[in-house]
Amino acid sequence: MTMTNRVIEEFKAEFKSVDITEAPYEKQGYHLSIEARTGNLLNIIDFLDKREFYIIDLFCVDYQDYLELVYFFNTHRELCRIKVTLKLDPVKPVAPTISNTYTIARWYEREVHEFFGVYFEGHPNLTYLFLHEEIGHYPLRKQHVPVPDGDKKLLNSFRPHEEENSFFINLGPQHPSTHGVLRVVLKMDGEYLISAEPVLGYLHRMHEKMAENKSYMQFLPNPARMDYPGALLFNLAYVEAVEKLCGIEVPERAKYIRTITCELNRIASHLLWLGAFPADLGALTPFMYAFDDRENILDILEDVTGSRLTYCYFRFGGLYNDINEETFIDATKRFIERMRERLVMYDKLITGNVIFINRVKNIGILEQGQAKKYGFSGPVIRSTGIPFDMRKVDPYAAYGSIDFEIPTGHIGDNMDRYMVRMKEIEISLNIIEEGIKRLPSGPFKTEKVPKKLKPPKGDIYNAVESTRGETGVYIVSDESDTPYRMRWRVPSYSNLMTFPHLSRGVLIADAIATLGSYDIVVPEIDR
Amino acid sequence: MGKRSFHLETKDPIIKFAVLDKILDLARANSLWPITFGLACCAIEMMCASMARFDIARFGAEVFRPSPRQADLMIVSGTVTKKMAPILVTLYEQMPSPKWVIAMGNCAISGGPFVFEGQYNLVEGVDLLVPVDIYVPGCPPRPEGLLEGLMKLEEKITGTRRFPVPEPKW
Repeated sequence: MTMTNRVIEEFKAEFKSVDITEAPYEKQGYHLSIEARTGNLLNIIDFLDKREFYIIDLFCVDYQDYLELVYFFNTHRELCRIKVTLKLDPVKPVAPTISNTYTIARWYEREVHEFFGVYFEGHPNLTYLFLHEEIGHYPLRKQHVPVPDGDKKLLNSFRPHEEENSFFINLGPQHPSTHGVLRVVLKMDGEYLISAEPVLGYLHRMHEKMAENKSYMQFLPNPARMDYPGALLFNLAYVEAVEKLCGIEVPERAKYIRTITCELNRIASHLLWLGAFPADLGALTPFMYAFDDRENILDILEDVTGSRLTYCYFRFGGLYNDINEETFIDATKRFIERMRERLVMYDKLITGNVIFINRVKNIGILEQGQAKKYGFSGPVIRSTGIPFDMRKVDPYAAYGSIDFEIPTGHIGDNMDRYMVRMKEIEISLNIIEEGIKRLPSGPFKTEKVPKKLKPPKGDIYNAVESTRGETGVYIVSDESDTPYRMRWRVPSYSNLMTFPHLSRGVLIADAIATLGSYDIVVPEIDR
Repeated sequence: MGKRSFHLETKDPIIKFAVLDKILDLARANSLWPITFGLACCAIEMMCASMARFDIARFGAEVFRPSPRQADLMIVSGTVTKKMAPILVTLYEQMPSPKWVIAMGNCAISGGPFVFEGQYNLVEGVDLLVPVDIYVPGCPPRPEGLLEGLMKLEEKITGTRRFPVPEPKW
């Protein structure tokens, strides 16, 4: 009996009056959908919490007649995606908070509040997270809805209050170790952190709003600018979602080339992190070495995609162009050989370094139990010992036919996160090798894909494993050539939000090490 | 924010030394100290430019300083949002004169791909906030592009170009 059937049975026994419907997974990307009401939402959340569901995402869609809150859930053991929806009155939208059960909802709800004007009853701190205070309307509402005057005070962004024996410092938004423009307000007691509160939105580039203004084809370059170190993987998430929505077939060859280039990109992204993480700890030498290797990948990918960083290589139904059998495969093989030698060197250079070990071992320990509350993913969750990887759980592209292992850590400290990523580089090399061996010949794209896509009415959630974790895109189509609503579920967001929990009572230097070990990318969080 | 202007008036120095000024300019042009100010995608290419392959140190500009007080060049590498704008201006004001600004990438030049009707969070070009000396177009520009921008800035400071313009090979 599969997880889905079991959930349906148990749900029907517990909630007699609530509808639970099965959705076609291939078309919509989720198994079950539940229509909740304000009265029974918390009971449903409790039901899911007891069955070890973690929260993937929480967001809102404005259907003009009503607002719809969408909650996505899944389990770490078996794929069973559940969409819970809650309809709200557009004039005075109020919903109960679920942040007591799922901690990460605290930030998701703040986001929904400032973009849609939804109030969450019982939320501990409903203030601005992303937007500038001068923006006087709710940006993602379909009609112009100004922020009510009475709420302006409530909407003030986080302002620290000095207390006796403690003081505040700002980490960022201009700080080398925040990897971009992240700001974290730290409450300090001498060298120790009392609390940390991330403030986002310094690079909020309105991707979700842009999607509602552009056609499916025009939005294609955007995902690459969300997560630039792993541009191809975001590109893939979007392209696959639209392909599933429109029912476009992809040739086998394209699937394999997608897999190979994505893994190359994953290594490039991990190498960027491999340089930046020791640099946060004060070791600047690995930076030089890692970038040296990274340039090799950039050369290979530039050859096929045409750009060095923000790739836009995948098209609906295939690729932009075919790879050159000789040059691409030769260069990739040479790179694999070289990288394997270099990994041995990195082991000697960084992993065995006593100072490095003392800085990262047993620091920033994440427990397995937190995974459900925060919904973090990628190397961060694998470091706690849960072998959760979208490539295995829900195989896409050619990952289903390639065998690979998933590296896991033991205790979930910074050292484990480092080791998991190093191991992943090795495994990515194996996947590329296997992919090249099996690369079929044939067409690299489907003909007959219309220039102007008009997908049928409906919604889809599609997730891939990007370098930082589960990256999902949710699209609502209303049969026009622009998406009605597009929502991005980004892994760095939920990974970063464990930082306030981990940094409580630690030394500031250790907190920096923890922040570095997440490998966050700020444009991805801010979108 | 739109109409609030952050332009600073730059005045000529009160005392001038004809030859000494030229020597000082030459020294400044060949040892520009940029501030570590990565905003978005272009910051990765800026980092690439300072690494072994492109080696910005050949032109004396490898000393990336985290503090604006020690820097005299600001490379605005990425999108400037309305929330970031006041911080960018503060950093610029904290830099000691003489100081220069390179707008790297389309976002910093004009808002780039993120300009659309109804946008609510974007400063359409960093030159609305601070005076810009050199524009380096691209999305993102290649590291070679940034290096060329750096050479153009040297030319602007000293009046002569140190390196020849390379001939395109295609």
